[in-house]
Amino acid sequence: MKGTHLGELEELVLLTVGSLFDEAYGVAVMDEVKATTGRDMNISAIHAVLRRLEEKGLLKSRMGGSTNERGGRRKRLFTLTKVGKLALDESISIRKSLYDRIPNITYQFSI
Amino acid sequence: MTHQPPKWADRFLRWYCHPYFLEEIEGDIYELFDRRMVDQHPKIAKLKFIWDVFRFFRWSNIKRSNSKYSKMNQLQLFRNYLKLGFRNIRKNPLSSSINIFGLAIAICFAISIYIFTDMQLSMDRFHVNGDRIYQLTNYVDQDGSEELWSDSPILLGPALLADHPTIESMARVEYRSTIVKKGNEVFDELAVFVDPSFITMFSFPVLGGDPNALEKKSQIIISKDMAIKYFANEDPVGQELSFRFTNDELRRFTVGAVLDEYPYNNSIRFGFILPISNFFDLNFPNTNDWTFLTDATFVMMKEGESVGSIMDSFEGYIATQHASNPEWKLASIHPINLYNLSKESYQLVGSVSGGGHPAGRIALIVIALFLLGMACFNFMNISVVSASKRLKEIALRKVMGSVRKEIIKQFMTENLLQCFFALIVGSLLAYFLLVPWFDRMIPEMEIAFRTYDPLDLILFMVGLLAFVGVISGAYPSFYISRFDTITIFKGKEKFGSKNLFSKIMLGFQFFLAIMTIVGCFIMTEQSIYLGEKDWGYDPTGTMSIYVNGNEQYDLLKNELINHPAIAKHTSSDQLIGRGISKISLEWGDRQIGVRRIRATNDYFDTFRLRLKEGRALTDQAFDQQSGAVVNERFVKSLGWEDPIGKTFMYDSIQRTVIGVVEDFHYYSFFNGIDPVMILGLDESQAHYLTIQADPAQIEELDQYAKEAWLKVAPNDPYDRVFQEDVFDDFYRENQSNISILILITFIAVVLACLGLYGLLSFNVQGKLKEFSVRKVLGAEPGAIVRIVGKQYIWVLLISFMIGAPLGSIGMMNLVVSVFPDPKAVSAIPFIVAMLLILATLIITVAGQVRKAINVNPAELLRSE
Repeated sequence: MKGTHLGELEELVLLTVGSLFDEAYGVAVMDEVKATTGRDMNISAIHAVLRRLEEKGLLKSRMGGSTNERGGRRKRLFTLTKVGKLALDESISIRKSLYDRIPNITYQFSI
Repeated sequence: MTHQPPKWADRFLRWYCHPYFLEEIEGDIYELFDRRMVDQHPKIAKLKFIWDVFRFFRWSNIKRSNSKYSKMNQLQLFRNYLKLGFRNIRKNPLSSSINIFGLAIAICFAISIYIFTDMQLSMDRFHVNGDRIYQLTNYVDQDGSEELWSDSPILLGPALLADHPTIESMARVEYRSTIVKKGNEVFDELAVFVDPSFITMFSFPVLGGDPNALEKKSQIIISKDMAIKYFANEDPVGQELSFRFTNDELRRFTVGAVLDEYPYNNSIRFGFILPISNFFDLNFPNTNDWTFLTDATFVMMKEGESVGSIMDSFEGYIATQHASNPEWKLASIHPINLYNLSKESYQLVGSVSGGGHPAGRIALIVIALFLLGMACFNFMNISVVSASKRLKEIALRKVMGSVRKEIIKQFMTENLLQCFFALIVGSLLAYFLLVPWFDRMIPEMEIAFRTYDPLDLILFMVGLLAFVGVISGAYPSFYISRFDTITIFKGKEKFGSKNLFSKIMLGFQFFLAIMTIVGCFIMTEQSIYLGEKDWGYDPTGTMSIYVNGNEQYDLLKNELINHPAIAKHTSSDQLIGRGISKISLEWGDRQIGVRRIRATNDYFDTFRLRLKEGRALTDQAFDQQSGAVVNERFVKSLGWEDPIGKTFMYDSIQRTVIGVVEDFHYYSFFNGIDPVMILGLDESQAHYLTIQADPAQIEELDQYAKEAWLKVAPNDPYDRVFQEDVFDDFYRENQSNISILILITFIAVVLACLGLYGLLSFNVQGKLKEFSVRKVLGAEPGAIVRIVGKQYIWVLLISFMIGAPLGSIGMMNLVVSVFPDPKAVSAIPFIVAMLLILATLIITVAGQVRKAINVNPAELLRSE
């Protein structure tokens, strides 16, 4: 279901927004993704993902104050919502539980 | 930072981007740009900026308004506009009805013309295989100019069918006049011999009997009209009819099938259809020879084959034809598709298909466009001016937050509403009045309110509505919505009276009206001229009787000529007014088409042809054998100065011109006069006995001749022609043309008049205060009339100066192509057009001027 399913990129962006806390806007998220994963993404793709996450209710946004940089244009700052945090927790725990089963399986195939 | 990102890319972003997202997107792109400017080449930074802008061009970022609320709002507003539209129509009944009525008249005309044109263009479309059927017409060189003839060698069809596997079937058409007898009744009829494949090739609907009846030599197919004429209430199938042909051969045939009523868009109408094998038995000379020309040859190509596949072989057939008939040489063979046949039949000599000259059709379309144009300008003018009353409404709407687009929408809705009413009224007018009227005026065609494809008519109406609505509604809407709110409320908006545009519009409207009126008057003048044209002879008291053969002639002549009322009598092989056959004359290296009449001596006196020079034919052996009397056109086309005594060869005999007669009309006046020669006639070959008597006694003589006829030839119909009646068809057609032209002129005048009236009434309304003040200060009524009239007189004069010459040039081009011998344009059409427009102007202005003159200053100025 579109509403609840988290895509790989969505999850990455969601995590990044969470880690940036109150400084998460388009360019910052793009830079952070680049820095942590090395993925080169276009800014428009980041915007699309952010907006989709907001529509799903995992993020909320507000306009920041205007500054001198960017020609006085305000930034849209994103923060995690409670639902967003829960979705991250759930996805991590699923991963964790799956990960925990790995050694057995690898053992069987390792010979 | 000296470097800025490319302006156009930023502008593009602002244009497409949803305003809600614009700021954050723009901000991010700019931030990236600034950063790249530091560590990258400016060009690359700019390119990347552009790339980003394009990457953001996504559906989710694009500006669009699909919110539910705005949709509902639109609908509400639209309902409001409609309601206001209805209210405004009711509030200004005069201007709305002028608008609607004016448009309706033009629309009515446009629809009628469309139906008329559609009918002509869809002629013969009901033949299922029509796209594969071609008539093989041919060009014949006639004295330098090529004429297109329907008649083609009778052997051409069979030769083609045998030589080309791409041809599916072939049908020839041969007309023969015949006398049909059923019981004791005899009638003159036109029989048509066709190949049996004719019926399968064409898709004429069969009412009853065996559609393949023509396969049997003894069977014929008759039309429904003929079935009713001969068999009234009986079943015609299986009945017998006897046919006697011009060479006295008698044949009996059984009716094998009856065709249903011909579809309205059928241009080929035959009464009696006989198998062509009978024609070859009838012992007419040379019928199985390349010299013989049959009336028409049709071929049907096989499915998927083009007529191009047989074109190359035509040369060979032409060579064969030339070898056997050097007197009548085909220049080339020209296949015409069945669907185009009626459109081309105006230039096709001896065409089996009926069809009008395209000039009339084009003229009607142009006139319909003119009338529509005039009505649209009317509409535009009145809409603009009537909006002057609603300026405050517009201003208030703007104050309440209406944007210009909404005001345009509002006025467009109102205008379209009026156009819609006009369309309904116009369609009704066309359905009940104009189309039936056209049908009456043009009896050769069954014109009814229909098109070949009914969808076409609906599409046409919708298109017309859109066209008229946009043309006439666009300007007022855009113009009105432009006004500035504050100037309106301050009352500073100058409007109406000094509006140059509405004057130009009025001028253009007058220009169209004058062009139409002048054009129609020129055409009417030509038609009247044609109607009053001298026949070239005196037809009064002249009566001719058709005789079939020598014996009948002698008997009838003996019975008749002793009657005391008969002053003169003569005989001839063909009759003036019934068409005279054209033959080809060799003159040096030229071939000249000449009409030939053979006649006995008293011919000139009996018809009262006017001898210009020389003498009439006499009994002298010389005159009888080699004398010829020719008409003036004959002399002119050979370029003779002194024609008497000149000689030419015809029929292997050297002919000497002994006399010249004035040109006379021998057929429809629409056709020009060809060279005519009158040669001596051996009385035994006479076909018409013509007598001339006191006009008062001609009726009595007719009765007497009829009784005599019954004694002479009870088996032949009594075929009598009063010479005075021979051009009746032409006169009726001419009269119809005049009526149609007068109607068009009338409509043009009415439209111009409506336009002026509408504009003027608003104008006077707006100036009543000015007039009051003027009156208070002592203005005479004359001065007020001058003020009202002044501005329109100039418009009128200028449009007349431009419109009249254009109209006359256009119409003369048309006239030259339709009328063979046009009259020079006189001043009358111009004077009449000017007077007509002036009279309308005065009548329309008068009422309004009276209002202006009778204004009571006390009442009007009281409020200020």
